[in-house]
Amino acid sequence: MNITISDLHFSYAPNVKALNGISLTINAGEQVAIIGQNGAGKTTLVRHLNGLLKPTSGSVSIGDWDTTKHSVAKLASKVGYVFQNPDEQLFSKDVLTEVEFGPKNLGYKKNKIDQLVKRALELTELTGKQETNPYDLSPTWRKMVALASILAMDTPIVIFDEPTTGQDFTNITRIANVIAELKKTGKTVITITHDIDFCAENFERVIALSKGQVLLDGSPREILGQEEILAQTYVDPPQLTRLGKKIGLQETVITPQEFLKALAQRAG
Amino acid sequence: MAFINIQNLTYQYPTAKAPVLQNINLQINEGEFVAVIGANGAGKSTLCYALAGFVPHFFKGEFSGVVEVNGIQSSQAALAEWVLNVGLAFQNPFNQISGAKYTVFEEIAFGLENIGVEREQMKSRIEAAMKLTGIAELADRSPYSLSGGQQQRVALTSILVMQPKLLVLDEPTSQMDPIGTREIFAVIRDLSNSGMTVVMAEHKMEWIANFADRVIALKDGQILLEGKPNEVLTSDVLAENGFGISRYTSTAREAQKRNLWKKDSLPVTLEEAVEGFRRK
Amino acid sequence: MYIARASGLHQLHPLTKVLLTFCLLIAGLALPGNWTSYLIILLVIFPLSVWGKVFPNLLRITWLVSLPFAISVILIQSLFWGTGTPLFEFWIFAPKLEGARYAVISLGKIILVMSDFLLFSLTTRPDALMIALKQAGMPSSIAYIIVTTLQIVPSFQRKGATILDAQRSRGLETEGNLFVRAKALVPIVLPLVLGSLMEVEERAIAIEARAFNSRQTETSLIEIPDTQLQKNFRTVILIVMFLLIIFGILWRL
Repeated sequence: MNITISDLHFSYAPNVKALNGISLTINAGEQVAIIGQNGAGKTTLVRHLNGLLKPTSGSVSIGDWDTTKHSVAKLASKVGYVFQNPDEQLFSKDVLTEVEFGPKNLGYKKNKIDQLVKRALELTELTGKQETNPYDLSPTWRKMVALASILAMDTPIVIFDEPTTGQDFTNITRIANVIAELKKTGKTVITITHDIDFCAENFERVIALSKGQVLLDGSPREILGQEEILAQTYVDPPQLTRLGKKIGLQETVITPQEFLKALAQRAG
Repeated sequence: MAFINIQNLTYQYPTAKAPVLQNINLQINEGEFVAVIGANGAGKSTLCYALAGFVPHFFKGEFSGVVEVNGIQSSQAALAEWVLNVGLAFQNPFNQISGAKYTVFEEIAFGLENIGVEREQMKSRIEAAMKLTGIAELADRSPYSLSGGQQQRVALTSILVMQPKLLVLDEPTSQMDPIGTREIFAVIRDLSNSGMTVVMAEHKMEWIANFADRVIALKDGQILLEGKPNEVLTSDVLAENGFGISRYTSTAREAQKRNLWKKDSLPVTLEEAVEGFRRK
Repeated sequence: MYIARASGLHQLHPLTKVLLTFCLLIAGLALPGNWTSYLIILLVIFPLSVWGKVFPNLLRITWLVSLPFAISVILIQSLFWGTGTPLFEFWIFAPKLEGARYAVISLGKIILVMSDFLLFSLTTRPDALMIALKQAGMPSSIAYIIVTTLQIVPSFQRKGATILDAQRSRGLETEGNLFVRAKALVPIVLPLVLGSLMEVEERAIAIEARAFNSRQTETSLIEIPDTQLQKNFRTVILIVMFLLIIFGILWRL
């Protein structure tokens, strides 16, 4: 299911442009990271993908659905959206009920729901915590419950809004695993992130936004080495990219594997 | 005598089943910039609260041991007095907005009004603090209309403007963009150079390595390691205990195995990594 | 909720507006006559809101908030009013003229209370109010609670909107008939309440960290202009309020 955004403009208030002419196509199964400075329009952009915001002008289509023609609740069958703060959605007496909420809303059959929920709990390592009240879990685990509650909806497109913010190393690894698993099953993943190393290691396409426009769009290798352009939107290249440049590696490297390979080649 | 002196601190929240901090001993000198790292739940925030006086004063619970700042014990002082010397900003910026103010400029004034700073002095202090943290252009905006990263800058500024002797920060940059984060770390480094003591709980290893004087690694409520960033952040113990480390360190460790890193010590900053990886 | 406008009403001292607000409220409730509240709304509150350049806002919010009350009052009266002149009958509904009259009268009181407080909050800066209350000798903790309570509606709106978005994104239907909307209530209200409880603790820490309970004499960033005229006016309002209360009691004896 492709996402087509054409000449999207959006203003929260007259004269305050949040998005200023964005055109993008995101193909089914792509893993896309959206980066850029605070206030660049990242959240505003992804909120258009499930109809939470409607374009001031231009259009957004999910498959052949124009987002202005369908309710958010209907679009939820195509686009899952993991919000930044889990506490703004958790309300059930236990984890299981919470995770079942989405797929039930979508009207799936009971055994499909059971399967999806089981899978989502496994992926987020929540198995064994089904009967716990979400509010008895730590914020880190509440984040995983929120994640599971969207995964269980089995949507072809999944959006994450800053999933790694405030998370520790173990949980970032967990989230990376979830994204890898979604990729394997052919889902489209769109993630807003400030964590550029996370972005370099887990995504195949990077879109840098600045002042409501697309600044850069391409593979991490094409995009994340462009230090000066990225600086316009307050982003540094990944650690190893900066290091590679400084020690004079020929090509742009972004992951540890690439860096070590380039290093080995240089050593001969 | 150290500026901060923590002795045998053990603390348990009222409804908890086990202590969240266990037998913490720690001395920090005036003007030091100390980073506290550890998994979520390791006790970083509680340590911050203990320094800021909210443990035990606000949270109650079982507190034993001594937390002493500038020669005064927290258990002997009233919280209202304690906060005059110790500033605290924490992660969720939204909940730090006072709710009683209309613009960012006035929001930052809240603390100064409470300690009775004269109006003209108040204005100049607020302007200076906003310039420092790069939010001068947000002065007339409503604090609620800002993005998370901008709100975090406002929360930090609201505390900085009060010029505390000790600044306690619990993941103050979590929602900031990458260069914004680096800028804030640099500002905090400057403050520490000019004599402010800083204790900061953080996950962002690269900037801790670049800017902090000392790193304390917490695990399950206890101090696992402490020392200079390049000692602590390169330690095998850290890696074995599931701590995140910067790509410079982890990649150099890999390179070491393949004989591509020849130095004895591992790098923690870009400069150190460049130094070691540069073709001789 | 405050809306910044350059108007004479905005410039009045917050205490003047506090007293005016209470005076109008007491007048509407204490004075005899079934239609007094409507008269006060039409002849005092609406003109004042025009002066304060917030009339459309006042009208819109009053309408939005009063509507559920209006519906429930009318519904209850037409279901349960016993004897009287029947208006019409439909299914279980048999509204009587007397019941309808009573509903409209009580609704007037509700609308008065709402529009009166709205007029105040739309034209009074929360921080100015807090400073004015403290200057009048109120302890700062009480002034803070009053001011933040006045802000509770917009703060719930902000939070509620985000929660609504999160749940709609999980396929929750929120548009449609009454039954659909009622079902959507729990997933929205529960996180709102739980979130607010957690927020209270963190906010208490945040303001305490900013020396809220410090014993120093407080200062204020903004100046609140006051005039002798306004001071005199406030005395007059106080006397009027006192007389209204006495009159209200005597008249009811």
